[in-house]
Amino acid sequence: MVGIIQEQHPDRARLFMQWKQMGWPIMIDALNELEVAVVPITMFIDQHGIIRALRPPRRRITEAVQRFVDRRFDDPAQPATRPDPPIDSPIGSPTNLPSAPPTAPSKAPDLARLRAAAHDGASCDWRTLGQALVNWGGSGAIDEAITAFETALGLEPEAKSGPTNFRLGVAYRRRYDSARRRPEDFQQAVDHWSRALDSNPNQYIWRRRIQQYGPRLAKPYPFYDWVEQARIQIRARGETPYELAVEPGAAELARPQRRFSNASDEASEPDPQRRIDSDRRGFILAETVVVPAAVKAGSAVRVHLIFRPNDAIDAHWNNEAEPMQMWVAHPPGWLIDRHLHTIPNADTAVSRETRAIEFELVVPADAAAGTIMVGAYALYNVCEGVDGTCLYRRQEIRIPVKIGGS
Amino acid sequence: MSEHRTARQIPLVAALLSASIAAADPPRFEVGSRFPQIVLPSLTDGRPMSLAAFRGHKVILQVFASW
Repeated sequence: MVGIIQEQHPDRARLFMQWKQMGWPIMIDALNELEVAVVPITMFIDQHGIIRALRPPRRRITEAVQRFVDRRFDDPAQPATRPDPPIDSPIGSPTNLPSAPPTAPSKAPDLARLRAAAHDGASCDWRTLGQALVNWGGSGAIDEAITAFETALGLEPEAKSGPTNFRLGVAYRRRYDSARRRPEDFQQAVDHWSRALDSNPNQYIWRRRIQQYGPRLAKPYPFYDWVEQARIQIRARGETPYELAVEPGAAELARPQRRFSNASDEASEPDPQRRIDSDRRGFILAETVVVPAAVKAGSAVRVHLIFRPNDAIDAHWNNEAEPMQMWVAHPPGWLIDRHLHTIPNADTAVSRETRAIEFELVVPADAAAGTIMVGAYALYNVCEGVDGTCLYRRQEIRIPVKIGGS
Repeated sequence: MSEHRTARQIPLVAALLSASIAAADPPRFEVGSRFPQIVLPSLTDGRPMSLAAFRGHKVILQVFASW
């Protein structure tokens, strides 16, 4: 038994593997190099590497497995002496299938050779280089991987750019989750996944990657609601759960909705007269991400706002005053799930954690194509340095929502 | 639990009892064809792995996701 898992975050896949006690070899295909459009897919592959069954019938899977294990398959390099009978005829009881170890080690591609081939090469050479850098180059190679994919995109016709756009999105999101993060990386990931899906709307792996971070009205299910249950059950077995480098965000845990819950309008705007001083020093750096990248009129978007204390001026959250709040003023005719957001203070007097707020909007069905700026502002208590001056500040936030997706 | 998430139901045989979420088979996978030569990182240690390394053994391959 061998597995290939489609996953943006390898650490989550490892936790899943640990939870389900999967003892067989599993490879991670974060870039969708297999170019599968759906999961799950089961294949029976013979000892010569030939696919002998694809999606065998579910109702007789046990018998199909047994027959496959017992069947003799001729070497395709030699003439067949008789045709192989169908695999799915029942013949006996199921058997446990031990995981066979690999008979020969595999090799990662030669990055130097790929760089040489890409230089003055075609788009496929640059894409191959980008893939190899993501898989084998380490975190230090992610910038080069993004450049390679961008170069490949520039050489490809738009209609064939789906796989490259998807993999570029994976690379941007991977950089976003690393110490090399740039503020625009998450939105870039969403933008490129959206372009990929536009080129092939039937690619469900690509679609799910957007839905993972998107609005509840567009979700098929909660993507990572299993994580907490997995941790509980792993600990109950006496094991330590694999640590996650990136915890699932609210969007990734959210359950789907079939009807939008519009705000009740009971919340009071905290600073309608703009009396709080603006954060001109830039104590807090705000990032805005809108998912999907472009929304159809009448559909929903999920907005991710990320707030980080500014390292350059040693800014800290002040947790000894009122908690951080954010107010969103949606345009007339739009729906919003919540106007006022409050983030509780951390337990320590000061702290430097990243804070995130997510909310959803529904665009009117008669909205014209174009970009609408949704206004919001955040109010927060910050200090410059651990023992420095502490202030209460306001930051205006403009959220661009692009209308006109397919 | 909805049908299309039965990938969470392990052990081995149950792992194969999974419904797909869309219709079309990927064009590069056909019965009778050779599985593509592709090297991917191992989930456990990140080292290179491919199905070619299992040549000489029959393989039941499951392409899946945790979500």
